Amino acid sequence: MMNSDFDSLHQVLSLRMLTPTAYVLRVERKGLEFKAGQHLLLGRNGSIESREYSVYSTESDDFFEVLVKEVDDGLVSKQLKQLKAGDKVKLDGPLGFFTLEPETIANGKFLFIATGTGISPFHSMVKSYPGLNYRLLHGVRYSNEAYDRQDYEPSRYILCTTGDQGGDFYGRVTDFLRKNPVLKDTHCFLCGNFNMIHEAFEILEQQGVPSSQVHAEVYF
Amino acid sequence: MKYHLISLGCQMNLSDTERVKTVLHQMGYTATENEQAADILGIIACSVRQKAIDKVYSRIALWNKMKNRKSLITFVSGCVLPADKEKFLKLFDLVFSMSELPHFPDMIRQYGVVTPASLIQAEVADIQENKAVEQNDFSALKPHNLTSARAEKIRLNPSAEMDRFWNVEPTYTSDFEAFIPIQNGCDKFCTFCAVPYTRGREVSRPSDEILAELKMLVAKGFKSITLLGQNVNSYGLDKKDQELSFPQLLRAIGEFGKESKSDFWLYFTSPHPRDMTDEVIAVISQYPVLAKQIHLPLQSGDDGVLLRMNRKHSMEKYRHIVQTIRQLIPEATLFTDIIVGFTGETDEQFENTKLAMQEFRYNMAYIAQYSVRPGAASSRWADDVPKETKKARYHALTAELMKYSHEYNKTLIGKRMRVLVRARDRKDGYLSALTEGKLVIRFASNDFSLIGQFTEVEITSASPLSLEAKLCAVKSETVVA
Repeated sequence: MMNSDFDSLHQVLSLRMLTPTAYVLRVERKGLEFKAGQHLLLGRNGSIESREYSVYSTESDDFFEVLVKEVDDGLVSKQLKQLKAGDKVKLDGPLGFFTLEPETIANGKFLFIATGTGISPFHSMVKSYPGLNYRLLHGVRYSNEAYDRQDYEPSRYILCTTGDQGGDFYGRVTDFLRKNPVLKDTHCFLCGNFNMIHEAFEILEQQGVPSSQVHAEVYF
Repeated sequence: MKYHLISLGCQMNLSDTERVKTVLHQMGYTATENEQAADILGIIACSVRQKAIDKVYSRIALWNKMKNRKSLITFVSGCVLPADKEKFLKLFDLVFSMSELPHFPDMIRQYGVVTPASLIQAEVADIQENKAVEQNDFSALKPHNLTSARAEKIRLNPSAEMDRFWNVEPTYTSDFEAFIPIQNGCDKFCTFCAVPYTRGREVSRPSDEILAELKMLVAKGFKSITLLGQNVNSYGLDKKDQELSFPQLLRAIGEFGKESKSDFWLYFTSPHPRDMTDEVIAVISQYPVLAKQIHLPLQSGDDGVLLRMNRKHSMEKYRHIVQTIRQLIPEATLFTDIIVGFTGETDEQFENTKLAMQEFRYNMAYIAQYSVRPGAASSRWADDVPKETKKARYHALTAELMKYSHEYNKTLIGKRMRVLVRARDRKDGYLSALTEGKLVIRFASNDFSLIGQFTEVEITSASPLSLEAKLCAVKSETVVA
């Protein structure tokens, strides 16, 4: 569905802080179709700048949520953080193909690998499809960045930390991956920074996972 | 009243330029190659490389100096990133996106420029618009007659805006080759490309308009027609079953060619491997007017690089497409685009691209050394492959291309081929032509009446990227329905 200029303005419903720099922004959905894993282009009303953010909320929610980390030298992440309920954002989308194949959802085995706010699409997938057979590796610096950890089954969520020892594994997600080989029939989804994706892809390739089963959404 | 127009970049921009010219002509302006003589100076910009944007800045600096001597209007349109657009607003008199082209005459009118054509148009426009707005029928509004007051009132969605733009009849630069835009924008977000940020989301043009334009061109005797789009084979997907799919569109064109016994070659560019279905290939194999030439961008032959480029397909998928082409259309030529030296590309990954070149044996490859595209996601990553390495990889891959294309071309020696004669060749006494597979051929002839016609030649010698031939038949007249 395409939006007109007028329709592309969506009202902010709330802003929930998760850490001093990470927050969940909730905006009107206006009935737009959406598949878990897709992203939005979001920007402050009146600004020429916008950025891509994976949707954090579920397919059945009547709103969109995005998980944003305020970037030191960023522009949009700072602008969005100032928003209050009732303000408007310009929204384009949802877009993208980083989604689950419908025929794999019921019986497929999934490995989700994320760094930082790259967990967003997986939060949406896990909450949209209860009963999904997944394992989620989440790499962060500090353990307080385990955003909404309670939303995942404890046995399926593995927090990998490098800045403190408060996670389930001390080290990078790629270190965990090397020590815990993946079964070849696993559908692997990677979302996060460029270097992690580069490295994780090579490890999965070495472990014999066919490249057609590896999907990535590259952050920067 | 004269205009001078500079078009930068790709075939899409050239096609857009043809429509801009029409609007200017309808306002009573005539083209001039001399910018000093122009009353309106415009640029259709390209943001693929910084160099192209730098050209816009240098041109407008010059034009603004010219304003000290004479009254003139400057404008910029085309592929412009939001950040550049903001700067251009301070430098150009008019900055508009291509979908806003139908409002261009009104923008000019607001500058106080009254041409005889614009006066008549404004009056007619008022009557037509009043009626259309009263009846809430925006589709009835003609492309170049919407006045600004109503344009403000009628906020059309991007899809409707593009429909109005496509309704502008282009001023074709050739009388036998033409482009038909069928889709605008891109939803793929390849990390090396800024198009999703400059042209916005994918919007498909109504198929009845595409078919009408095609039939009109064929009736006028056009021989080579190319369907254009950033992701031409995702045509129709944005309309969610309300529009023909790409293979259905090709089939409709194929059927038209068959029923009307028309003689033309239909091409399309650029497709994305992700949306290249077996059905598309099967349809091409079934209809003579659908040219047996496929441009299938590879970009890299390494899965890891493809992943970082966010290409959304694996080598396995690409391989399947090529195998299907070879199986269903063995005579088809295969063209591609490749980027060498993309951020992080290792020697081993480049070797995989070389292996792909050996495996797929392209007839032509447009090989580019990676350079940062401002606004693209990869512009935030280190451009970490040294220039010298990129250059070496470029030359190595070009050598591979030449080897395989030469081998293929040699197999054509002695064969008779149908070609479309395009122009006088650079070599005196020769004409230049293209085969259906877009292989470049030259043959000795001074018969310029052959230009724009199909004719038959016999291949006499082969080079890596071109062929020589001798004329062996008189020109054939096109059968027009």
